[in-house]
Amino acid sequence: MSTHAGLEHAHATHAPPPPAGPRLRQAGWLKAAWWTPLSFGIATALVTGIRWSAHWNPVWDLDVLLVAWTVIVPLGFLHGLGAFDYWLYWISGRPTRLEDHSDHGANSWRDYFRVNTDHKVIGVQYVVTTIFFFLIAGLMAMFMRAELARPDSQFVDPNGFNGLTSVHATLMIFLFVVPVFAGLGNYVIPLMIGATDMAFPKLNALSYWLLPIAGLIIVASFLLPGGAFSAGWTNYAPLATQQPDSNLMFQMGVQWAGASSILTALNFLVTIITMRAPGMTFWRLPLLVWANFTTSTLVILATPFIAGSQFLLLMDRVMHTNFFEVAAGGYVVGYQHIFWFYSHPAVYIMLLPGFGIVSEVLSTFSRKPIFGYRLMALSLVAILILGFSVWAHHMFVSGMASWLRIPMMVTTLLIAVPTGIKVFSWLATLWEGKIHFKTPMLWALGFVSMFVIGGLSGIMLGSVPVDQHTSDTYFVVAHIHYVLFGGSVFTIFAGIYYWFPKMTGRMYSETLGKWHFWLTMVSFNVAFFAQHWVGLQGMPRRVADYDPVFADWNMLSSIGSFVLGASTLLFVYNMIVSWRTGEVAGSNPWRALTIEWLVSSPPSKFNFDDIPQVVGGPYEYGVPGARHAVLNGARVLTREEGHAASGVPH
Amino acid sequence: MSTAAHADDAHAAHDGEHPPEPHYSSKVEHPILGIYLFLGSEAMLFGSFFAAYFFARVAVPHEVWPPYRPELLAEGIQVQYHLPVFLALINTIILVTSSFTAHWAVQALKANNRSGLIAGLSLTSLLGLTFLLIQIREYMRIGFSPRDEAFGSTFYALTGLHGIHVFVGLSLLTFALIRSIRGHYRPAHHHGLEVPIIYWHFVDVMWIVVYVTVYVL
Repeated sequence: MSTHAGLEHAHATHAPPPPAGPRLRQAGWLKAAWWTPLSFGIATALVTGIRWSAHWNPVWDLDVLLVAWTVIVPLGFLHGLGAFDYWLYWISGRPTRLEDHSDHGANSWRDYFRVNTDHKVIGVQYVVTTIFFFLIAGLMAMFMRAELARPDSQFVDPNGFNGLTSVHATLMIFLFVVPVFAGLGNYVIPLMIGATDMAFPKLNALSYWLLPIAGLIIVASFLLPGGAFSAGWTNYAPLATQQPDSNLMFQMGVQWAGASSILTALNFLVTIITMRAPGMTFWRLPLLVWANFTTSTLVILATPFIAGSQFLLLMDRVMHTNFFEVAAGGYVVGYQHIFWFYSHPAVYIMLLPGFGIVSEVLSTFSRKPIFGYRLMALSLVAILILGFSVWAHHMFVSGMASWLRIPMMVTTLLIAVPTGIKVFSWLATLWEGKIHFKTPMLWALGFVSMFVIGGLSGIMLGSVPVDQHTSDTYFVVAHIHYVLFGGSVFTIFAGIYYWFPKMTGRMYSETLGKWHFWLTMVSFNVAFFAQHWVGLQGMPRRVADYDPVFADWNMLSSIGSFVLGASTLLFVYNMIVSWRTGEVAGSNPWRALTIEWLVSSPPSKFNFDDIPQVVGGPYEYGVPGARHAVLNGARVLTREEGHAASGVPH
Repeated sequence: MSTAAHADDAHAAHDGEHPPEPHYSSKVEHPILGIYLFLGSEAMLFGSFFAAYFFARVAVPHEVWPPYRPELLAEGIQVQYHLPVFLALINTIILVTSSFTAHWAVQALKANNRSGLIAGLSLTSLLGLTFLLIQIREYMRIGFSPRDEAFGSTFYALTGLHGIHVFVGLSLLTFALIRSIRGHYRPAHHHGLEVPIIYWHFVDVMWIVVYVTVYVL
């Protein structure tokens, strides 16, 4: 949005760059360091001042203060960091700086710690930040499993346990799985479609910086009186409105994460629609781009609903409105409807990009074209549409209108059709392929097998009678971890290993990568498979204590989860050491066809010297002479020349 | 900053690396597509508030809507909450008119008519401000608060969410007005103006939906 206005301005005034002021006033960490406490003071003064002058008691109301702090302090911090500089200059009609690309690209590690407009830098920022929160949330899972290893109370009290459960899930969903895909997409998608950057680079930088803010707000809830918010990541009313102040940290944290994800999705959509290279038609897009296109549409349309649900909850809590207050004509189940109208599509927001990654990896490492490419793309669209019609299957036992059950069950089971198309297409892609069992491929294959288990238990949970029996049991816990860990997280690892050479220019250790995969694969199943069983036996989830008859299975689960945690350290070690000292990777270590592999690793500052020309589909492995794209204005080769160039006998 | 700016000759003088000439694969330009997608998101945010409204109105059984005032009902008197439908109609007409003046401003810019642009934007801002002031006046005299039943909560939520959007739109219009007076925008480069105007039209359309749902139906 700002761009063209900035452009107009450049025409209008040709302003010189502003003279460099004292360092305290230059955008950066130093300015952020004094703007953060300043905005904290402003927020505090604003709230207490208004309350004092209006004679509202008490003047010091922690609920209201927390809202003001979590809104104003991040804005002050971001302003100090310089995330708004351009817009502030533009909006007031003052001379904007000419774009000199000084905030673009990374020359040293310091450039990763400032507002950077390069999609490659932002991609790395996203991935590293989200893995940081993944480790924190994983550590919380370790604490929970330690508590659950034996019946009775060991390490934490029941309230502390509920806090761990809630923050674990919230961080994993809003600070890891959803944004890590935005990070991978940020790095790869402009390259894949032959663009120099995203459509709105400044907005892209801002979207990233909203994310750590959301994470810090959520983690900071542990510091508040009464402990972390403990009403689960679903934060149902009326429980949420009766919780201690820390519940506000969930509500506000989710708003920041949601804003970040909406702005990124908007950026992806505009980029994919308007910045494709010549020849890159929609039917030539790699499936990862298709996946991010559908995911971004879901984010744009669904995420406002969780924002709405938390706004309404916030008003019920802070302003004492009655949206979910039964005694005053409110409709309490309404919260669940609004919440799940986002949070069921969110399940696909967390899976579709993974589907895209797996399609890339499976095709590349089995050296075969994707089976049924168009149907693969269309099934993504089908999931997008159907995904909006199933939300109430989370509410079969909530006391909602009972006539909703059967329609929601039918649409839920219908989603198995497009999902099944994808699974069978992946299998058909592998069929008679020349399979290379590199680490990304292992993760992709692990994903297909684990996701099928999660999908099947999903079909069970989608049918009303089974759901009524298994609601709020460990069966649901097992299901969610098979789809979100065995599903999403496996694809995330596949994607990180697959593009690691592209991002860093170095190879990871294949041995450690394989160790990581096999340890995770085995320990993940040890940790979660038995939970299907204890769940069917009736062990309730989100409870710190349990019946001693489940003790042995829980001990097994805990052992599995500790090995799982340890295997993640292997991954972190591999990434750090390989980034510094790994073997230098060429531009295309996997001999893949998509455009990101045609440029150097890591790509140059603006990706391309000339925009590539796309001449064919992205997965034509084994097709003699087939090219996806050509670089540097090269003439498009004829079929015969292609044969000669690729050395394929014909 | 879109790649469009990179291609601009203003930057040609700058030394160092240059991005290649960008390729556009769509007739729609970045800012326009971007604002439409953003408004799609905004519409869904309104959707979630409307959901809360219809839950309170339809899912919870009522004899009448607006409901009887509970404090009077306890004394056996049936008095419904009252909404100033006629005043809101006048407000609706004011806001709809402002959409036309906003459109006039854009057309004036495209015809390179600077005074028409400034007049159109001034009128639009004034009409928007009038709407907002009447809305605040209505709040002060309406006789119930957001704490009065789910009815009061949903009324204030929908009109308040809309009011915040009027305020944001009004701020954008004011900035556009300042820039117009300073001589910014060109007939060929008008996205900086068009984006706030599209937003303003959205605010206007959304009001019609809110008015029809909350006041009329």
